[in-house]
Amino acid sequence: MVQQKKRGIDKTALAFIAPALILYVLFIIVPTVSSVYYSFTSWDGISPDVKFIGLANYKEIFTSARFGNALKNTIILTIFISVLENAFALALAVLVDNIRWGKNFFRSAFYIPVLISGIVSGFIWKIMYNYNFGAINSILTQIGLGDFRQDWLGNTSLTLIMIGVVLVWKGAGYYMIIYLASLQSVSTDVIEAAEIDGASPWQRFRMITIPLISGAFTINFTLSLINGLKVFDQINVMTDGGPGFTSETLVYLLYKVGFTEGRQGFGTAVGIMLLFIIIILNTIQQKFLRSREVQL
Amino acid sequence: MKKKLNVLLSAALAAAMTASLAACGDQSVSSTTAAAESAATEAGDASQAESGSADSSSEGAADSIVTEQTDLTFIFADGDEGAKKAMNEIVNRFNETYDMITVTIEPGTGGNYSELLKTKDSVGEFPEVMEMRDTAMYVRAGKLAPLPDDIVSLFKAPMEFNGEVYTAALAGENTNGIIYNKTYFDENGLTEPTTYDEFIELCQTIKDKGDMAPLVVGGQDLWHMGFWFNKAYDDQVMSVDPDFIEHCYDGSKDFSDPAIKSTFEEMIQIMEYAQDGWVSTPDAQITTFLVNDMAAMMYSGTHMFSQISQADPDFEMGWFPIPSPDGKVRLVGGSGIGGLAISAEAAQDPNKKAAAEEFIKFFFAPENYKVYCENLSAVPSTVETPDLDILPVLQEVIDATGTADTLTPMWNGKSGNNELPPDFRNFTYKTLIEVLQGTRDIDSACEEMNKTWQVAAESFNPVTGAGIE
Repeated sequence: MVQQKKRGIDKTALAFIAPALILYVLFIIVPTVSSVYYSFTSWDGISPDVKFIGLANYKEIFTSARFGNALKNTIILTIFISVLENAFALALAVLVDNIRWGKNFFRSAFYIPVLISGIVSGFIWKIMYNYNFGAINSILTQIGLGDFRQDWLGNTSLTLIMIGVVLVWKGAGYYMIIYLASLQSVSTDVIEAAEIDGASPWQRFRMITIPLISGAFTINFTLSLINGLKVFDQINVMTDGGPGFTSETLVYLLYKVGFTEGRQGFGTAVGIMLLFIIIILNTIQQKFLRSREVQL
Repeated sequence: MKKKLNVLLSAALAAAMTASLAACGDQSVSSTTAAAESAATEAGDASQAESGSADSSSEGAADSIVTEQTDLTFIFADGDEGAKKAMNEIVNRFNETYDMITVTIEPGTGGNYSELLKTKDSVGEFPEVMEMRDTAMYVRAGKLAPLPDDIVSLFKAPMEFNGEVYTAALAGENTNGIIYNKTYFDENGLTEPTTYDEFIELCQTIKDKGDMAPLVVGGQDLWHMGFWFNKAYDDQVMSVDPDFIEHCYDGSKDFSDPAIKSTFEEMIQIMEYAQDGWVSTPDAQITTFLVNDMAAMMYSGTHMFSQISQADPDFEMGWFPIPSPDGKVRLVGGSGIGGLAISAEAAQDPNKKAAAEEFIKFFFAPENYKVYCENLSAVPSTVETPDLDILPVLQEVIDATGTADTLTPMWNGKSGNNELPPDFRNFTYKTLIEVLQGTRDIDSACEEMNKTWQVAAESFNPVTGAGIE
């Protein structure tokens, strides 16, 4: 009797799952599958005619300098923000964890940029970066460092870094909270034991704390990798992918060709490629980070 | 006792809120009414002033247009403050005139209008009446309805597409030229150049003086770069082959052509005189540069006149066209293919169709169209032109269009065999910026343009018919 129940479909459970399942299928599965179909077409996104063109979009992806440029920009930006966001977040978490007064204040203060929307933060920084009227150049001039004034978003060798700075500023607080939670769960017994054994603060941090919070590293690096690969808001507001194609990332390329250049088919093919890139990178990263996690 | 006090306080608070809401309501009603009366009076005065103004603004006509309450959505490129002001004013007037029709302006983003319209279409919110720019693409997609003869006949030079007119031209094409600081020119004995070489000399003179940048360029906005690119393209390409794009489609020419290389070279030469940081300067800031003595000249359309006057009413501006290197004056002008359009879907509903057509007729009635033309310093496109109170500098532009050697739409505004593939324009401007910043050389830029052109022409080629049917 019990075995029969296990094999059959539990209608009550299905009824509970059904609403979420229907929505998931409608809004995630169907668009994903139809995207695969559209990636083999030359659909312009408007016309009712959808022409099947086989692998032409994928062939163009592998031969197009623009895709290569977008891939390069995406990788640079992702590495930049993954490393710096985590470095800053960890530093802030350690700082907040160790200060004796104002702990809540600093935790909130560092978290505030996270609450600002990507579009708004993009606008704020765009104004600050402005060559002629921006705060950064004005401050440099006022403190006698006028020679260091830069066209922060117009100088092609700086554009990506400047966007990265905004992303780090905005994202570090979020990762800080995860690191902080992890730091606070580290047993004081272990730390005290190491202290009694004569370990220096740096040794305790490197040999005890870091391995014990490696789970947080896995989560944070995974999140920052995914966020880095799908950056859109700030690029849209601050540079529109420019100057030229300097800050065009894969997501931005997808948007531009799909929605503004009337090449939805090609844009979808870029999206499919991005999906594979995310899966591959995430798998590699997970394997690497999981192998370093320590369980107590 | 405490409970009673709470009840009393709650009641008092509720009464106060009700009273304040009622007051707000009264206020809003009265202010709306006052605004309506004011607008109606203004419209009425204008009607009286304009002999033979359209009947469309009369109450009598309003009743017979639709059989039931009809709502229309309307969207336009609202990046320009003048456009926003004018459109809102005309829509308000229309809504006050027609009881049974309500036109609602869908707010834009103030940014890339083509993107906004495509996004609206993608999410099933394509407006019923809209400012249309990519006319050819939307006509081919079956999204636009042809305009009836009584609207077409309102215009001097309606632009046909496949034998039909789909857009009511908002204005003659926006003629670009140099808008300059007249006071600065007078104080420094600078005069308007009559040749291209004199223009370059003028820029060099201002640069050598060092008190302000010769030119302010809003390079962050690709469409602004389009003004400059079109100038160089007219000088170098149109001067030798007006059908260059058609020849690229048929394969007899490509973007490695010497004329294209010369276009890039001319742009490099001119941009030497742009202000520092031009790449990240948005078009919206260039007026600030001009009126604050940070730059002596800007190259833009007539829509800037009103913006400059609003930014600094005392600013004295002058205008001149930049002659081509071959001595001719080539200006952007004539009727473009863009304008107000009605969606094909709306046209299927008799009430919406009638309402949309009535709105367009109302818009171009002289007393209403005057609002648009004056706010945007636009050259009227209608047969019956409004009596405009225009700046002398705009009259100069109108005069120049009458004496120019050529008067053509922008290179990306042409139709037929010279129509560009979708967004090839933006690709070109981005490539141009790469060349101007030195991250790409001219040969490499031409090669990239050829590659992109080949891909684009496979899916859109008016010469072979690909992507047209």
